[in-house]
Amino acid sequence: MALISTALATKNKLQTGIPTASVCPVCLKRIPAARVFYADEVYLEKTCPEHGLFKTVVWRGLPAYPSWMREKIPNHPAQPFHQPDTGCPFDCGLCSAHRQEPCCVLLEVTQRCDLGCPVCFASSGNNQTLDPHLGIVELWYRRMLEAGGPYNIQLSGGEPCLRDDLPEIIRMGKALGFDYFQVNTNGLRLSEDIDYLKSLKKAGLNVVYLQFDGTDDTIYQTIRGRAILQQKIKAIQNCADLHLGVILVPTIVPGVNDHDLGGIIRFALAYQPAVKGIHFQPVTYFGRYPLTPRNEDRITIPELLRGFEAQTEGLVHMTDFHPKGSENSYCSFSANYIIQKDGSLKPIRETSTDETCGCHKPESAKDGVKRSRAFVAKHWTYHDTPKSISTSNLSLGGWDELLERSKSHHFSISGMVFQDAWNLDLELLQDCCIAIAAPKGDLVPFCAYNLTNTEGQALYRPKP
Amino acid sequence: MSDSSLDSLKSQWTCGKCGAPLEVASVNVSYLGSGYPVDMLVCKNCKRPLVPAELALGKMLEVEKLMEDK
Repeated sequence: MALISTALATKNKLQTGIPTASVCPVCLKRIPAARVFYADEVYLEKTCPEHGLFKTVVWRGLPAYPSWMREKIPNHPAQPFHQPDTGCPFDCGLCSAHRQEPCCVLLEVTQRCDLGCPVCFASSGNNQTLDPHLGIVELWYRRMLEAGGPYNIQLSGGEPCLRDDLPEIIRMGKALGFDYFQVNTNGLRLSEDIDYLKSLKKAGLNVVYLQFDGTDDTIYQTIRGRAILQQKIKAIQNCADLHLGVILVPTIVPGVNDHDLGGIIRFALAYQPAVKGIHFQPVTYFGRYPLTPRNEDRITIPELLRGFEAQTEGLVHMTDFHPKGSENSYCSFSANYIIQKDGSLKPIRETSTDETCGCHKPESAKDGVKRSRAFVAKHWTYHDTPKSISTSNLSLGGWDELLERSKSHHFSISGMVFQDAWNLDLELLQDCCIAIAAPKGDLVPFCAYNLTNTEGQALYRPKP
Repeated sequence: MSDSSLDSLKSQWTCGKCGAPLEVASVNVSYLGSGYPVDMLVCKNCKRPLVPAELALGKMLEVEKLMEDK
């Protein structure tokens, strides 16, 4: 009987949708929403009494949406800076109802940028806002420690490498107990200023999180407004020379570079051991973008996974990928490999039947975020020589080689789907583990901080 | 497991269940969908393997951590 009831409930849910909440893309008021299934596609549907119906694709095709569920036991912030009042997403900072603590916190150390990309989360560019001075940066670090940190730090912007005192910002964080730093950069300065790169490494930078949209300059021309592939390559070479790890971060835009997924993977593998992985980001429509997005302007997680498989001639398989344990499972994907001697990729963990049935037990979100922080610190960084921690002379067969190569030849392919005013699902937002330090040190989930309406008005991000 | 390590362990242990001596055999050690054959000591009769503490708390723990990343 219970089984029949469950089946009926599932059928009804698929027909009417799974209820959640979102905001109106025009007025940003909180409104009810539903994830509605149409065969193997899922849409977020919502109606604003004033501005009408909005229907945005969130999932297309296999692997099936229900199979990607990885349920978690919430991990509410230890020291929330806010209490729920107006309701999500209006009390961020974090509030006590948030269901995950930060894994990584972004510090926007400048709003200036030396590119003026047609698509930009932060609407950066010719921004005359003064950079936050070191006292403000110290306040951010101290607020993070109050909140329960230290967390992994991403230095972001704007273009953070426009700041000459970026090494000082890293040193300050180190002195306060933060030990993992990545810099989110377009790579332009790093391609030509090796002394600056050296000073970042000396200060304690762990990895360069390099915007890298493809292997062809027409892609950069479209997305970034300039042909800058050679500068990207030079920046990677400079990092390799200094034994500094690189993560390639492509923004994937349908019709612009979704044909180059395999090309990006092969490129990354050609720059070993410096390139430690790729972190894909499907285009999101907040900040600055040219036109109101249509569903054909979006690419979803399963489309990326199928694209990886189709474009790599068997090097990468859809089944290598799994949802992550830190954030909501529908926000991201991940696969980890050991690069074999013949250049092939051996997945460290293949998806088991248990993981694809969508029926495994809820996991601890607290454990998930701890693992995620440790993973990034361990694998998104350069390792000089293969070295097993264990000194045992007892053999573990083929596992020995896996362990030996796991540091120097570890390679990860992951990605995160951000949410804008159209596809924002507040349940996913409440599970977010990426935060941005707001000017006064509140920790605002990434997608809430960047949320803008159709007029470009932001909920949290200060006006330029 | 190197031959010498196995030999020295072999003389120290008998099967806790049936008391039989141990012998070297290939055992499939698998975790989260991946597996490799490993030479280990197993009971001659009931084939139960001996996992030395050094291996369990050393390399096996490293493998576990690696596989459970993220």
